[in-house]
Amino acid sequence: MTTEQLTQWVTDHKFNRETCRHSMNGFDTVLHCHHYATLYCQLADDAEQFNGSELLKRSAELSFLDVLSTYFTDNNVKELDDRIALAEEYWKQCGWGTLKFDHVGELSTAAHMDHSHVDEGWIKKWEKRDKPVNFIGQGYLAAALSAIYDLPAGSYTVYETESIVAGADASRFSLVRI
Amino acid sequence: MPVDRDIIIDAMSKIQVTSNNEGLVPAFNVLVTQAPTNFWNSFAELITNSVAPELKPAAEALLENAAHECGYHTGYGIITSEEWASVCAPMIESPEDVLHAAFAVFTAWGWAKSEIVELIPGEKMVVRAYDYYESDVVDRGALKGPCAYMIQGVSAAFMDLAYGGEYDPTGQTGLRTFKCEQVKGIECGDEYGEFVVTSAA
Repeated sequence: MTTEQLTQWVTDHKFNRETCRHSMNGFDTVLHCHHYATLYCQLADDAEQFNGSELLKRSAELSFLDVLSTYFTDNNVKELDDRIALAEEYWKQCGWGTLKFDHVGELSTAAHMDHSHVDEGWIKKWEKRDKPVNFIGQGYLAAALSAIYDLPAGSYTVYETESIVAGADASRFSLVRI
Repeated sequence: MPVDRDIIIDAMSKIQVTSNNEGLVPAFNVLVTQAPTNFWNSFAELITNSVAPELKPAAEALLENAAHECGYHTGYGIITSEEWASVCAPMIESPEDVLHAAFAVFTAWGWAKSEIVELIPGEKMVVRAYDYYESDVVDRGALKGPCAYMIQGVSAAFMDLAYGGEYDPTGQTGLRTFKCEQVKGIECGDEYGEFVVTSAA
């Protein structure tokens, strides 16, 4: 009996010459730089009155949940360990940093990032700050855990308890089921 | 040799970015990420429709600014890259050629299927985009106002790079010497998006 290796994220990349769009596993995708990502985060942070950071988290959660859930379904990925490994791998492959889940449970989960595109991009562009800024990563974590447990968007609250942008050696996150 | 868009699109669309051991992609003078287009669209749509109506222009300006800075710094990274040197540089004889080639790269990377349709050196540029992900926010009907903030910002940034003086990594000078107005949009029911870039002075 052979065991199928499911923990390597496999990307099916296509370029449509007619529309000139790129797609990865059926989802239109695009490259952007740290200036773009950090300015989006800054705008979200500044729009405090309108819950800007929550809007950015929600945008990330909805988009990435679709990608992860579709991948799990299309590739028949059912085992918890495989799903966790793939969620970590996809984040890294896309250039958003490194993500490791410290423990995973349906009601509470902890994770950390030793490297973060948003935090390191923010420091590169401006400087350190004392508040978290990785709203995209927070949204991705909510998406990842919902995809892992086949739950809908909005199932988790994500708390960023330590941040690279604030000088910590890693960003640390706590997720709790709503 | 004139700028051959097809050659540039064919070559540049094949470039793959891969992350390092830190999960980061240092490329073209910046850090790069890959994301679903609907992620970027979603936030732009949610924020511009959440703020009070009188603040919507300010939110739109900040979204355009994000792309303006992105286009300026990443654009410089592109035109000084090895890929540019091998594919585009042999076709370049003038700043205008740089702009035509830059929009071919812009097309190749999936930002917008776009080209320059009018160019007055140092003064004005008109860009048309025939397919772009920012128009995907409408499934039926049409928006009252356009929302291709990314194309607006990058178009202005490319003019900054061509005519705004020496590249300034700090963005203190050179950046925002041009501004862009979107006058047509697929999202508004037009056949294509149209972007007019003029001096910001």
